[in-house]
Amino acid sequence: MPASPYAVDVQDLGIRYNLNLTRRTTLKGSLAEWVGRKQQVGRHFWALRHVTFQIRHGEALGILGSNGAGKSTLLLALAGILAPDEGTVSLSGRVSSLLTLGAGFEMEISGRENIFLIGGFMGIRHRVMQSLTPSIIEFADIGAFIDAPVRTYSSGMRARLGFAIATAIAPDILLLDEVLGTGDEEFRGRSRQRIRDMVTHAKAIVLVTHDLTTVTEFCSRALLMEFGQVIYEGTPTDTVDFYRDRVAERKRMLAESAPVSVPRPPPVVLDRLAP
Amino acid sequence: MTTPVRAVPKPRPAAAQRPLGFRELFRRLEFVRLVTRGSVDLRTRGRLLQHLVGTDLKRTHADTVVGQLWWLIDPFFSMAIYSILVTVVFAKSLVDAPLFLFAAILPWQWFQTALQDATTSVTGRGNLIRQIQFPKIILPAASTVAATMTFGFGLISLAVLYIPYPSHLSPWLLMLPVVGAVQFVFTLALGILFSALNTFYRDVQNLLRHAVRIWFYMSPAIYAVSDLKGSPFRFVLALNPFTYILTSYRSIAYYNSPPDFVALAIVLGISFILLALSIWVFKRLETSFAKIL
Repeated sequence: MPASPYAVDVQDLGIRYNLNLTRRTTLKGSLAEWVGRKQQVGRHFWALRHVTFQIRHGEALGILGSNGAGKSTLLLALAGILAPDEGTVSLSGRVSSLLTLGAGFEMEISGRENIFLIGGFMGIRHRVMQSLTPSIIEFADIGAFIDAPVRTYSSGMRARLGFAIATAIAPDILLLDEVLGTGDEEFRGRSRQRIRDMVTHAKAIVLVTHDLTTVTEFCSRALLMEFGQVIYEGTPTDTVDFYRDRVAERKRMLAESAPVSVPRPPPVVLDRLAP
Repeated sequence: MTTPVRAVPKPRPAAAQRPLGFRELFRRLEFVRLVTRGSVDLRTRGRLLQHLVGTDLKRTHADTVVGQLWWLIDPFFSMAIYSILVTVVFAKSLVDAPLFLFAAILPWQWFQTALQDATTSVTGRGNLIRQIQFPKIILPAASTVAATMTFGFGLISLAVLYIPYPSHLSPWLLMLPVVGAVQFVFTLALGILFSALNTFYRDVQNLLRHAVRIWFYMSPAIYAVSDLKGSPFRFVLALNPFTYILTSYRSIAYYNSPPDFVALAIVLGISFILLALSIWVFKRLETSFAKIL
């Protein structure tokens, strides 16, 4: 087992998006800005700020929060895909980060070739990948389709293959984004079993989900995020209760502030823009 | 005028003031560090490169009746079109025109395909970049290598052309890999640069389409440099690296003569400098790719 007491150690993490760049910039836009000398200062938005937490080996951490709370950004940062603009992320062990299962597949080549391609992207040796392939194919359970182009797969088949690859490489840290609900009942049972096995083998798991029962079922701890910050950390049951209260409270407040029956859009965007 | 005042650095503890050797100082330069890391990425991810090139080759011409044969048919068609254009429309008298044109058009198409595919190689894989952390510089490199493979297949059609024109065969043709290597480095450098820039400005890929076409006509592909005697345009040709690359191809494949080694060496030197700059730009911008894709 790795030497560090924590599998994941996040200290004061901040991820900042530059709003000038996120929406497909055109040269014209940038030129206009330079020419007009409109220095658009402060068009930054902190998707995450001051996030600090640790995960031990053998722990499964659930991350809760409404849309846009920063859950997915947090996973991207843990996977090393987004570099911290503030603070640090330290991981000990190999990370597997097929966040949205199957989204990275190459459509024109076969499932088998995709296994090797993904392995190559993850930096896993070809030999290792070769020895893992039979078990991946078996777990994904897609039969003769493994040698057909991935574009012919159903979305369930893609998700199964993605899950099989992500978990087969025996990661020390597994990052999952809303994936335990994929596939049919039978596959769901098997994938849940595999996650449980990983937890008992002292792997660290980070699970982002909207499904509150998944959190209480799998996780040993849970975080609640809001506007890019961790606002609650505790046992899964406590966190889920806190989250439910909070959502109910928000609904009540919204109802009170808008006595007319016209439904008001939630004031999300303004809240999230940092000064 | 005030004399520039050097900011006096705070005195550091003695332990940190260990004098740096030249080598260490060199290594600490951000430019050197990033270029080194970029080239290590390229060298150590050979297997990934191989898989990506295989994918690229399978993807082009997938679901066509004759499949990979298009690699041979494509260059033949363009050679035929330019032969008709030059000899019939422009009524230019050219000895063995098909070979004269093919010797330059085939490598040019390699350059064009490589550059265009490399430019969109990063933007086309946004999904994957937001899934797995890997050295993105492999993507434009793989596109360039894949186009090189296609060029390699195209050489078969060049070989076929020597059946009607056997008098142009000479041992100098063995220099083809040398000229190709120069072109490869030059193409790789531009591909890496444009793939990074295109991530921020999608205009690059549109602009490039036209730029490459203009560049084609400003290079001696469907004419020879000697055709422009006395034209002020020759100055532009002299500054164009492709003038030397295409002329060298034509020397060895058509004129039975050696390539211009000095010019090729200069182009190669410039290409390596450009490659270092491109890798640096790419590595600088790479960390933002996942945020904007």
